[in-house]
Amino acid sequence: MDKLINLFVSSGIYQIQLGQAVMIAVGLGLLFLAIKKNFEPLLLVPIGFGGIMANIPEAGLALSAVENALHLGGPEVVQQLSEMLGVSGADPKAIKEAYAMAGQAKHMQVTQMAIDAGFNNGMLYNFYLISIASGAAPLLIFMGVGAMTDFGPLLANPKTLFLGAAAQFGIFATVLGAVGLTSLGLMDFSIQDAAAIGIIGGADGPTAIYVASMLAPQLLGAIAVAAYSYMALVPMIQPPIMRALTSEDERKVAMTQLRHVTKTEKIFFPLVLLLLVAMLLPDAAPLLGMFCFGNLMRECGVVERLSDTAQNALINIVTIFLGLSVGSKLVADKFLDVNTLGILLLGVVAFGIGTACGILMAKVMNKFSSTPINPLIGSAGVSAVPMAARVSNKLGLEANPQNFLLMHAMGPNVAGVIGSAVAAGVMIKFVG
Amino acid sequence: MDSPSLISEGFTLMLAGMGFVFVFLTLLVYATTAMSKLVNKYIPEAQPAAAAPAPSAAPAPLAQDQAQLTAVIAAAIKQYRANHKK
Repeated sequence: MDKLINLFVSSGIYQIQLGQAVMIAVGLGLLFLAIKKNFEPLLLVPIGFGGIMANIPEAGLALSAVENALHLGGPEVVQQLSEMLGVSGADPKAIKEAYAMAGQAKHMQVTQMAIDAGFNNGMLYNFYLISIASGAAPLLIFMGVGAMTDFGPLLANPKTLFLGAAAQFGIFATVLGAVGLTSLGLMDFSIQDAAAIGIIGGADGPTAIYVASMLAPQLLGAIAVAAYSYMALVPMIQPPIMRALTSEDERKVAMTQLRHVTKTEKIFFPLVLLLLVAMLLPDAAPLLGMFCFGNLMRECGVVERLSDTAQNALINIVTIFLGLSVGSKLVADKFLDVNTLGILLLGVVAFGIGTACGILMAKVMNKFSSTPINPLIGSAGVSAVPMAARVSNKLGLEANPQNFLLMHAMGPNVAGVIGSAVAAGVMIKFVG
Repeated sequence: MDSPSLISEGFTLMLAGMGFVFVFLTLLVYATTAMSKLVNKYIPEAQPAAAAPAPSAAPAPLAQDQAQLTAVIAAAIKQYRANHKK
């Protein structure tokens, strides 16, 4: 009988907390959105599943060795930990705070002690350390994106880079929104948090994760989920804004056909971009460096195999680890928070402002440009490749069935990727 | 709570950030244009611009159809590729 009671006490049913139950429901919700509604399934399936696993009671898959020791260890283990950290009493909360404040050397020591006591990092925590905390996964994905990107449309019409720049205004406006909410006392974000939230407006998953892991790791789960869900919602968020800001005639504007871009130009472009980054903004070098590297592999034509791996096999493997690691951040005490609501809200605002600024910029450029520019391609400046470009194309076709904007919109679209990476570099430089 | 300084920090970040993004991308526009010019001047491709059909100078319906067809095919290829890469 005792054994039966023991079994029950260590079971999930007995141990589950309300927060964990809610988070498991959130994970299931993400799976539903991914499987049934086809929202960025490549990311949301691993994220949702990782979120469920992270909240399995007692398993501690998303916790570090120290957290596991605190949670599962007996009183003597907790006592040892509190002594080591110089905390009086055995209150787990106080110990956690002291641990968070302690330096790297102390961390190592405490972790070693927890490992000696027989506790280990959870599986998902290890994934997180390797893929996100090290910065590796977002950068490898960026390399893959580089290997998939064709800069042809951008090279044929370099002016579209301005559209990619304008759409980044959403990022910075959101930063302002986040600090505004904080000073009104509604939320509690530091300037670092605000910067990481703003990047959602860049509509670029890997960039958002990279910046969040550097500036606000505690918000990473919410930021990644917001970034990827809104990317999936681009076809719903953008069209109303695009219609409101353009007239029927403007949407009908046909653009001149893009000139032919030679292979040599395409090979030189990533090198030019890399040089500019190296000279002006070394903080964006990890992101744009990997991006340029991927693109050079694609365009140079002599490393077919590497390029193929970067844009298929490797990016898929990395996506699995990235998704699970992001899922590991969906633990109740970090996610179920009023700040998460704020992040979701600010994220959609960021998207809207970015879209609007891109369109307004395109309208201005249309006034001054020698060749006509359809304002609809401005909204593609919020990266989200290639979804945003397709939205521009679709609205263009609605207004004028002969008007194919897709290739024209790809220019601002990839410019948006560069723009948000530059914005990320600026953020890291200024507040990191 | 030192909220005024937080707000001003936000403003500084916005101005500096947007300014920098624009400066950077403007430089990139010039660098790219210059690069394209240089490349096309010194390393011209074997068959220059054979792929692009001549702009429809004659308003013949045939030429228009051709341009439209090219656009449709280009869009279809792009979409197919985009679908099969992610």
